[in-house]
Amino acid sequence: MANVGIVIVSHSAKVAEGAADMVRQMVGDEVPLAWTGGNSEGGLGTDIAQIIDAIDLAWSDAGVAILVDLGGAETNSEMAIEMLDEARQKRVVICNAPIVEGAVIAATEASGGSPLDIVKQTAEELYP
Amino acid sequence: MTSLKASETIDHVVRGSALLTNAVGLHARPSVKLTQLAKSFGATILVSTQVSGPWIDAKSPVKIMRVKAPKGTTLYFEATGADARLAIKALLDLVNRNFDESEADSHG
Amino acid sequence: MQKSVKLSLINSCTAVIISHSQELTSLDQAIGDGDHGLNMKRGCEAVLADAEALSDKSLPDMLKSIGTQLVMKVGGASGPLYGTLFMALAKEMDEMPTSESACAAFASAIEAVKARGKSETGQKTMLDVLVPVHAAWVAGGGKGLAMLAKAAADSTIAMKAIRGRASFLGDRSIGHMDPGARSSQLLIETITQVLGV
Repeated sequence: MANVGIVIVSHSAKVAEGAADMVRQMVGDEVPLAWTGGNSEGGLGTDIAQIIDAIDLAWSDAGVAILVDLGGAETNSEMAIEMLDEARQKRVVICNAPIVEGAVIAATEASGGSPLDIVKQTAEELYP
Repeated sequence: MTSLKASETIDHVVRGSALLTNAVGLHARPSVKLTQLAKSFGATILVSTQVSGPWIDAKSPVKIMRVKAPKGTTLYFEATGADARLAIKALLDLVNRNFDESEADSHG
Repeated sequence: MQKSVKLSLINSCTAVIISHSQELTSLDQAIGDGDHGLNMKRGCEAVLADAEALSDKSLPDMLKSIGTQLVMKVGGASGPLYGTLFMALAKEMDEMPTSESACAAFASAIEAVKARGKSETGQKTMLDVLVPVHAAWVAGGGKGLAMLAKAAADSTIAMKAIRGRASFLGDRSIGHMDPGARSSQLLIETITQVLGV
């Protein structure tokens, strides 16, 4: 089975892209990865349609782990998940972890072939 | 010589150690490489900055990242399982190769 | 529900929000990030543009489509909340609802909003209008809901925000009406007017 995919959702496109760059540089390319940041007007915020697109981009049969920053990113990610196909909904989780470190840790864990629940659990060790 | 040879004791635990010689020690990216490498083996692998512990799971990225061992620290490894010898050799090699980092990589 | 009634609801509800978007913006500038009016206007314009097609759908399908539109177009914090409200309403609403069945659908929609926003009444949100309106509806039917909605929205002025962007202001959020409460009140007023309750 392929590795779990990682999606980064930030209020800022720069933060999301930067975090994704760090993941690529530190962990490599073996993990499907996508990012989104900013609202539909290009300002700070998050956009549900963009989150859905990012989930599709990073999709893996092993599932997808989402890293978020502040509240709105989490709420919108939850809504995005509810708008996916039912079969996919169960395979997407949001991690309660800091966005940058969480993405790196989740990707590290995913690169070893760990299943979705372990990837989530490992990233969440950052908030003991 | 910068590392002790891997040795296996009667309890089938393979041990080895290596000195951190890269400029910033066990910082973020080397931590990731160490855990990724450890995960590629079936053996249980522990690491410590002291010869008698406390021991940390080498496959746990969060725990390894928190070690933050600086240059000059010796990393002690213990592995148990069918591929323990291979695991220890690979990990010692990784440390001795400075985690494949060039000088330019050693920032942050 | 008749197409003409559905059309009337869409036209009137979107109109009231669009015409009050400046006020909603001002309220949100006081205690939020100032985008509630703009966001809601955008969402309502999208729904209004689709009014013909929406009013041709069954009532549940119409509500679900409105919910989806709001989620995709409103953005901010209110998009998911209003979107959830309408989508949950759609799940429980009959095509020809009685006051009781619509009230029950409203109850489950309120629960969905609570879950989505992880909030309760007393935290200075739209729930502080929706919940008392629902309670009054259960107790006494549809009469007087518009006045109650106004009183409920006014009651948010003195509240301290516990949720959302406003909660970062702490005590400084006191003395301003919650913008989500205001937009909810406007919608309830309009709906009761159109339905002649």
